[in-house]
Amino acid sequence: MIGKSPLLAAFLLLLAVSSEVSADGLVNEEVKRTVDLSTHLAKITAEIVLSNQGHSAVQSFMLAVEADLAPHLAYIGASVKGDEEEDGTLELQQTTIPGQSGQFYKVQLPSTLAAGAQLKAKVEMTFSHVLKPFPTQITQAERQLVVFQGNHYLYSPYPTRSQTTRVRLASKTVESYTKLGNPSKNDEIVEYGPFRDVAPFSEDTMKIHYENNTPFLTISSITRTIEVSHWGNIAVEETIDLRHTGAVLKGPFSRYDYQRQSDSGISSVKSFKTILPASAQDVYYRDEIGNISTSHLQVLDDSVEVEVRPRFPLFGGWKTHYMIGYNLPSYEYLYTLGDQYALKMRLVDHVYDDQVIDSLTVKIILPEGARNIHVDTPYRIDRMPNQLHYTYLDTFGRPVLVATKNNLVEHHIQDVVVHYNFNKILMLQEPLLVVGAFYILFFTVIIYVRLDFAITKDPAAEVRMKVASITEQVLTLVNKRLGLYRHMDEVVNRYKQSRDTGALNSGRKTLEADHRTLTNEISSLQARLKAEGSDLADKVGEVQKLDGQVKELVCRSCQEAERLVAGKVKKEAYIESEKTLTSKRQELVSRIDSLLDAL
Amino acid sequence: MAEHHAASDGKHKASANAGGSVHGNSRPGAAGGGGGGGGGKGGLSGGLTQPAGWQSLLSFSILFLACLAGFSSRLFAVIRFESIIHEFDPWFNYRSTHHLTTNGFFEFLNWFDERAWYPLGRIVGGTVYPGLMVTAGLIHYVLNLLHITVHIRDVCVFLAPVFSGLTAISTFLLTRELWNQGAGLLAACFIAIVPGYISRSVAGSFDNEGIAIFALQFTYYLWVKSVKTGSVFWTIGCCLSYFYMVSAWGGYVFIINLIPLHVFVLLLMQRYSRRVYIAYSTFYIVGLILSMQIPFVGFQPIRTSEHMAAAGVFALLQAYAFLQYLKDRLTRQEFQTLFFLGVSLAAGVVFLTVIYLTYTGIYAKIHIPIIASVSEHQPTTWVSFFFDLHILVCTFPAGLWFCIKNINDERVFVALYAISAVYFAGVMVRLMLTLTPVVCMLSAVAFSSVFEHYMGDDTKREKPPAEDSSDEDDKRNSGNLYDKAGKVRKHVSEQEKAEEGLGPNVKSIVTMLMLMLLMMFAVHCTWVTSNAYSSPSVVLASYNHDGTRNILDDFREAYYWLRQNTDEHARVMSWWDYGYQIAGMANRTTLVDNNTWNNSHIALVGKAMSSNESAAYQIMRSLDVDYVLIIFGGVIGYSGDDINKFLWMVRIAEGEHPKDIRESDYFTPQGEFRVDKAGSPTLLNCLMYKMSYYRFGEMQLDFRTPPGFDRTRNAEIGNKDIKFKHLEEAFTSEHWLVRIYKVKNLDNREPLDHKLRSVVPKQKYTSKKVAGHILFCCFNQK
Repeated sequence: MIGKSPLLAAFLLLLAVSSEVSADGLVNEEVKRTVDLSTHLAKITAEIVLSNQGHSAVQSFMLAVEADLAPHLAYIGASVKGDEEEDGTLELQQTTIPGQSGQFYKVQLPSTLAAGAQLKAKVEMTFSHVLKPFPTQITQAERQLVVFQGNHYLYSPYPTRSQTTRVRLASKTVESYTKLGNPSKNDEIVEYGPFRDVAPFSEDTMKIHYENNTPFLTISSITRTIEVSHWGNIAVEETIDLRHTGAVLKGPFSRYDYQRQSDSGISSVKSFKTILPASAQDVYYRDEIGNISTSHLQVLDDSVEVEVRPRFPLFGGWKTHYMIGYNLPSYEYLYTLGDQYALKMRLVDHVYDDQVIDSLTVKIILPEGARNIHVDTPYRIDRMPNQLHYTYLDTFGRPVLVATKNNLVEHHIQDVVVHYNFNKILMLQEPLLVVGAFYILFFTVIIYVRLDFAITKDPAAEVRMKVASITEQVLTLVNKRLGLYRHMDEVVNRYKQSRDTGALNSGRKTLEADHRTLTNEISSLQARLKAEGSDLADKVGEVQKLDGQVKELVCRSCQEAERLVAGKVKKEAYIESEKTLTSKRQELVSRIDSLLDAL
Repeated sequence: MAEHHAASDGKHKASANAGGSVHGNSRPGAAGGGGGGGGGKGGLSGGLTQPAGWQSLLSFSILFLACLAGFSSRLFAVIRFESIIHEFDPWFNYRSTHHLTTNGFFEFLNWFDERAWYPLGRIVGGTVYPGLMVTAGLIHYVLNLLHITVHIRDVCVFLAPVFSGLTAISTFLLTRELWNQGAGLLAACFIAIVPGYISRSVAGSFDNEGIAIFALQFTYYLWVKSVKTGSVFWTIGCCLSYFYMVSAWGGYVFIINLIPLHVFVLLLMQRYSRRVYIAYSTFYIVGLILSMQIPFVGFQPIRTSEHMAAAGVFALLQAYAFLQYLKDRLTRQEFQTLFFLGVSLAAGVVFLTVIYLTYTGIYAKIHIPIIASVSEHQPTTWVSFFFDLHILVCTFPAGLWFCIKNINDERVFVALYAISAVYFAGVMVRLMLTLTPVVCMLSAVAFSSVFEHYMGDDTKREKPPAEDSSDEDDKRNSGNLYDKAGKVRKHVSEQEKAEEGLGPNVKSIVTMLMLMLLMMFAVHCTWVTSNAYSSPSVVLASYNHDGTRNILDDFREAYYWLRQNTDEHARVMSWWDYGYQIAGMANRTTLVDNNTWNNSHIALVGKAMSSNESAAYQIMRSLDVDYVLIIFGGVIGYSGDDINKFLWMVRIAEGEHPKDIRESDYFTPQGEFRVDKAGSPTLLNCLMYKMSYYRFGEMQLDFRTPPGFDRTRNAEIGNKDIKFKHLEEAFTSEHWLVRIYKVKNLDNREPLDHKLRSVVPKQKYTSKKVAGHILFCCFNQK
């Protein structure tokens, strides 16, 4: 049994493979390949007319990538060209074919392909770092030449009836190219083929050496941090390490030549455009030593465009490092249903056209207290263990999702969806924390002010403070009492006009009552002052005496007014007496004032 | 005393209001005074139940606003540019703080910085005053502990403005002790905005002085307090504050000389008391021990001449106290007075000689070229006194006179403070900083007294002894001071009020004049701060005719290039001014930096810069230089570039290498320093000249000038055909402000046999040079 099992496995495998090949019976009827080398990427698209010449219908077909290019493959995708111009993207699954080198993908068809039927498929592949600069070092004045090594034929597990390959280059200047089948060259395009009846898995090296001055920028690493706040903001920050991966600059860098000659340093990178979401606000662009002042921001209808200019032009081999960050309103990206939330954001965003990212790290910081986190990624990505992040007023930390992926291109700009639960009550936690902190602060101050922490006692100071507080009270009471007289004056005046004796009497009564209580209070305070041994008590007593006189005067003026109203006195006499009374009163009041001043 | 006035003042206000309410027009002056004092706010309180409370609220809010004004007026640079560390020294402080926060305190104390002073290195922990870094690090630590994620850079940038706010508070406290609360508030307002202090404490200027002035003022406050009370509690507080000052700035020497001087003068004035004895004895012993805890200070307090005065006064005080004690016990008066005179004379002579030695020491230092080359070590001009202090410089002698007229223990102190600070400020521009606080305090005293006389109310002044009413007026004015405009109409009512009293015209004129002066002071301060002291100097800005701004970010461009695109251990040679910036921003090893402790090393760099290329190459090889960085302002007309500093390099080099470098060689026979054709050939072929003007001769900046026209020196350069043998241009920033050259390695040796060459012709490309090799062989041995 044990001896048999590997044999059995091999047999089963063989059976499976042979059955697949035989079941397939697929043939590439016509292949149109386009190799786009006009940027620093190699984008190979192939339009394949696939026909099923087997006996049974097939569910899937296979795509193959050459072994040399496979490690550089950044993206592969296939779609079916329907009759009604409808492109259906197909699902790919990596498999292996024993005995053959390279990478293989199994493409699931949307509908079965019956025997004898045909199908138009489009395959897209993007390779990074396959254009090698040659020579590897150039001076500032030289142009950048690169070499591409690929395959003349479509690498496929099926036989091909007829195919053409069209290569698009970045410039007319071509140093050399392989001459298989007498290709035609027209400006920036080299056309090979048509080749007829090519066997499966056939390879023939295509080598093109040409001038390519497009920016060979590579993002060697990018860390994208997305911080979600339920207070309405999503903060995004990208930390980027950028490197010019073209031919390395050899010899001096002359600013003079760079400024005066337009073709000096033609392969260098002065600036590039980063497209941010339309709602991006508060964009910043900086590095370890501060703001990079050479950038420009342009707000367009459907996006925000940042012209990112590194501090210095990037020549071959030079690198730089920067951070770019912005805020987004959360209502555009955060969806909610009760306690359930869904964040839908781009996993990686645009940095420059035809970008290549060697290594990506995405960190998504969810609000403190988010639970049941579940992530839907558009493609496979390596999840790292979750971390905790502490920022303003956090107590137990915010969950951070971390994920990494290598070798990404523009096709990877797709949305990721993060589902999580969040209890809305937790939103109150932070404001309450602040309120609590302030409460404690004020409370401490209150306690501190109220309590005496001195280790020695100063009885004199205590007495002084007591006296001060009592005199304060005396002052307010005396002022109140003086206010009563003024009020009484008003009552008398009103009485003179209305001749309402009742009002006068009631006014007088209230005056009497209030006056009595106030005077009593003052005398009790006076007694307390005396008890403290203060000489101010005498002064208060004097004030009381004077006040008695004032009150008398007020009463007299009141009586005078009554007599006037009753017609017992003439008006002139009344005015005369009123005048003397008022002057007397003023004198008294000013004396009280001066006494109070001295308190 | 102050409390007593405060209380009487409070009552007064209440009574005045009451009087006014009883009979409308009996004393309108009093009513106006009271109403004005309480202001509009008085109405809100209803009965003005707690006038003392209102007063403290008012002083609190004025003090708070002064702090706020002090903080916010220092933010020009942050608002105009960004939150960035300024100038040179702050970059080192920032770098050390960064090191402290990332590696911890003990690692910081033991830090050996191998990136500075190549190949010597620098023991940073033992050669810095750590107070600044520890303060910033501590704030950062506490904030992070509370999960307030602030970057250490922002802590560093905003540290100086925050401490300026604290300085305003400590100045208020000190002035209140010396004079009264009104003067204190006025002083707080002055110190908050005075340019002499702002110059050292704008946001981003992360330097020792920023926190040291606070420590200085606070130490003095606690000292005055301890002399007044004679309590050990306050003295210990004073010692702790002194300890902080020692840890923060070398200027602590000022304290340790001024306080003994104060005590000495008190003794001379027969003002000895037990309070002084307790205060000084405690301060000297505890302060001495604490100050020796700072590694950089170490045993200096018992060794160097700067600290001897304190020891002498300590001994004198003990002797004096002992004699006092004996005097109580013994009866032979004559003998004792004789004895006392003898002792005090002897001590005085010792004290004076020590002082003499100290200051001759300072003078000796000044005549070393490296110290003289620093612009902030130049003697102060009269213009800068006015520029930095404006009207205060005229009013502070008046304040000093007021203090001397009503002398007491603490006013002796402030008088001595003023006199010594004036002297130091005259010696060196940077010591203007120590003068500024005392000028603010004494001017506040002067203004306060003047307002007392001319704004106070006569009827009131008959009863309570003057000061109280002016207190509130002062406060109101100081409020005006930082509100600047808008509140001017307020004193119209005061004027009317004054008219009721005696000499109304004189009063109103004087008041108006004073207020006008204060207003002009505020305007001047704002203007100076905004225009003179708020440039980061790392980022330059130029303005077009239409007012739009161009930012010239060349420094950071070049430093960042160094940081990103050179080997991590590359050694960069530059003049010492840029050492800290290169270390901070480019993170590369430097040969010399702003901590100019090794004159001969700097002279060697100066010699390399001022020699011809091959001699310089020899020096650079021996120093393992990989890159040379220079500043060149000829394209944009930046005057602080290396050619303008060049003569100092020559002088410093000449000081150490008089045989090789002679200053006179760099002048024309007429004794001029010229870069054009008439310039001396030595200059036109020296390394600095060649590096500055390499390929500049081809460059035509505009159509009116010939190619190679230097905008800074307004001359067409004399040597346009510059070729390098041993150097190669590595980087030049956008406006040519920073130029970096790479020092080439030695050539491969010329193959002896030419046949060999023909056999392996492809090896040729391994040689880095294009032409000219033979000269190098002689340097090979290094």
